[in-house]
Amino acid sequence: MDVKPNYTLDVRGEVCPVPDVETKRKLKTMQSGEILEVLIDYPLSKERIPQGVKEVGGEVLAIEEIGPSEWRILIKKL
Amino acid sequence: MIWQGLIVGILFGVVLQRSRMCFNSAIRDIKFNKDNYLAKMAAVAILLETLGFHLVASLGWIKLNPLPFIPLAQIIGGFLFGMGMVLAGGCASGVTYRIGEGYITAILAGLSFGVTAAAVRGGVLNFVNSWFGSPITVTMQDPGIYNAVEGKVSPTIANVFGINPWIVAIIFAILLAVYIWGTKTTERQVSGLNWLTGGIALGVVGILGYLSQKTYALGITGGWVNLLKGTVAGVPYNWIGMEVLGIIIGAFISAVASKEFKLRVPKDPKTYLQVILGGILMGFGAGVAAGCNIGHILSGLPHLALSSILATIFFVLGNWFMYWYLYARK
Repeated sequence: MDVKPNYTLDVRGEVCPVPDVETKRKLKTMQSGEILEVLIDYPLSKERIPQGVKEVGGEVLAIEEIGPSEWRILIKKL
Repeated sequence: MIWQGLIVGILFGVVLQRSRMCFNSAIRDIKFNKDNYLAKMAAVAILLETLGFHLVASLGWIKLNPLPFIPLAQIIGGFLFGMGMVLAGGCASGVTYRIGEGYITAILAGLSFGVTAAAVRGGVLNFVNSWFGSPITVTMQDPGIYNAVEGKVSPTIANVFGINPWIVAIIFAILLAVYIWGTKTTERQVSGLNWLTGGIALGVVGILGYLSQKTYALGITGGWVNLLKGTVAGVPYNWIGMEVLGIIIGAFISAVASKEFKLRVPKDPKTYLQVILGGILMGFGAGVAAGCNIGHILSGLPHLALSSILATIFFVLGNWFMYWYLYARK
């Protein structure tokens, strides 16, 4: 997806539940319309984040595979 | 038959990897993320095992062997285990299967868990068991589907109140069914097994495990202890030691096949210390409490064993306390 993120969060290698927690923490501080890019390699978080970010006003725009078990998740603050 | 343990372990490892079942996540998500996806998966497995264990025991294929009831150990050990799994980034089965996915932290957590549990069970820390007292048992004239040692059986809801185990099992299964199908399940797009298929697969592997090992269903703690003692002290490998080895192999095969294997290395050096500390707390807790999240939750709750019910409550409280302390505190 061709969007320019305002922030990047690289949580590759981190243990459960750090990717989820850090993503939500970052989203809480963001302004409406801003876009967060999360780099992740933990499959469970990849599947849990789309539902989880809704409670902090986030919406997942896209999940792209960028490598072996590595994904780039684009999240928009609503 | 120890090779059967390896096969059951490989199946268990594949199912854990494909379902992403982790009790650390399940327990935390229901409270802090209002997400019941993995809790429902566990509930499906426990429902199936409750009926399955009682059925195969009634058919005379196995005897039910509820875990020893040592209340103080299940309270204190349970709480320590619950805190430990948050620090370690996974429960006992979670860190074991993630070794097969390539997590360096899981290797450290798994080894520190296994070494500490081995120290508590017959090693240098064996003396700590005396702090918690002796197991409480129930004397039964006719043990029926239970395994009795000199007429004594570990307490379950059924044998404490003198009711038919099937009545308790069916009531418990109905309560689980009401929770599973009567409440809304959190939505999740998954690439592997979903909450229902994953739960059924876990339950089936659990029943197969009991039929194969005979003395108990699935477990992790005893398996790590045996695997380490077998490797460094020449103790013969047993069913459950091979089951734990199988989990790692099964998860590795499954992760490679689904292109999810990757060596994952955290950047912050503190993470390594945190997961080792978590593994030590888990090993101590499960060592004294007679089991971990698999022994007590997945395999123990279907027995309606008092030990497993009490341990489960304190696993949950320890997990919530540590999650709150690390991540949810203002």
